Amino acid sequence: MVDSKGREAKALIGVMLALAVLSLGVAAWNVMSDTFRAGTDDLFLVLVCLMLALLFAVPVLMWAHANGMLTNPFADEPLPEVAGESEHETHGGSDKQNTIIWIVLLGLTAFEVLLAYVQVPINLMLIILMGASIIKAALIVAYFMHLKFERLSLILTIVPTLVVLLCLFAILFPDSFRLHNMRPAESVEQVQHEG
Amino acid sequence: MAEARAESLAVNDWGGGVHPYRVGHRKLGMWLFIMSDSLTFGALLVAYSYARASSVKWPTPFPFSPSIIFSSTMTLVLLSSSLTMVFAVSAAKARKLGSARKWLIATMLLGLTFIVLHMMEWSHLIGEGLAPFELPDKWKAAWPGASPLFGSTFFGITGLHMFHVFTGVCYLGVVAARVKKLREDVEVAGLYWHFVDLVWMFVFPLIYLLSVDYHNVLGE
Repeated sequence: MVDSKGREAKALIGVMLALAVLSLGVAAWNVMSDTFRAGTDDLFLVLVCLMLALLFAVPVLMWAHANGMLTNPFADEPLPEVAGESEHETHGGSDKQNTIIWIVLLGLTAFEVLLAYVQVPINLMLIILMGASIIKAALIVAYFMHLKFERLSLILTIVPTLVVLLCLFAILFPDSFRLHNMRPAESVEQVQHEG
Repeated sequence: MAEARAESLAVNDWGGGVHPYRVGHRKLGMWLFIMSDSLTFGALLVAYSYARASSVKWPTPFPFSPSIIFSSTMTLVLLSSSLTMVFAVSAAKARKLGSARKWLIATMLLGLTFIVLHMMEWSHLIGEGLAPFELPDKWKAAWPGASPLFGSTFFGITGLHMFHVFTGVCYLGVVAARVKKLREDVEVAGLYWHFVDLVWMFVFPLIYLLSVDYHNVLGE
């Protein structure tokens, strides 16, 4: 009985893995294909494929985690124990650790302001600023908001949802570039300037 | 027997059992609110970026000194308020209610400082003639054909953020006043406060640091 259940689970995991790889493959194929223009529809298709890949990969990863093939990357200590309220309240960052995080956050902010001072090209600047802001957001969420010390199930409920939804917002951007390139009024004005 | 059961709950991190998230209902509710609120801010910031990317010209009106230094000071104030909030939460957890209240009040004061600084900046810009759908004449001359949406994105995003800070100060005030009853709410209020800080970590670079007036066009 136990054996057949195990086999069933393994077969399901195999199917999930195959579907995840397939979704990733479709996304990669779409990016590689000649018709890819990074337009809204292309990005949407890629994002949906990646989302499907993630969905199919989650059970596989959870299974691997349960069987000790993966260790929880969010917890650097064995999972905090159990049931008692007092126990629950003691774990988490110390004041010293939080002060260090605060100093790191200030340092990153100072770095951002320095970039604004030395005049970096705006596209590069945008990328670096967003990278630094995402690191800062992650530090705040993990340590100040204590998410690092919560249950994995809570982390998995909150973080992937937000990441996927914010990525879905981002598929609008090709449209804004298109709008920029197709404005008739401004281009007439520019021609007049040049003429 | 009970111990064995508790242990199996702890070992299986996905199964959940009776405590799927192992957090109280208030904390879970606050997390859900934060998720929806971050989508609100995400939508606004994406709308701003969209408007900016689709405009042929966008004003970049903030000179490094004083505007950027001023807004960096605001960032410093808000980040420091997060640190005092952390201290308030850890004091409340250690049942040191008096010191928790003091840290909460410090956080509120820093929040109020942020609001006052922000108001000063707003009144400066409004004084120059910036309105939701209208650029000051000086800016129009400096960036001919620039999108008038600058004002609406600026006031919309920073205004909603300031409103969040204001709400947070009121919230912290209630928690600080009734800290004996609401000891566990200190942590939940802390989640909200850190979230407001987190949003500013995106507003500050996107609105201010990407709009630096390098060539001193406005000549201030």
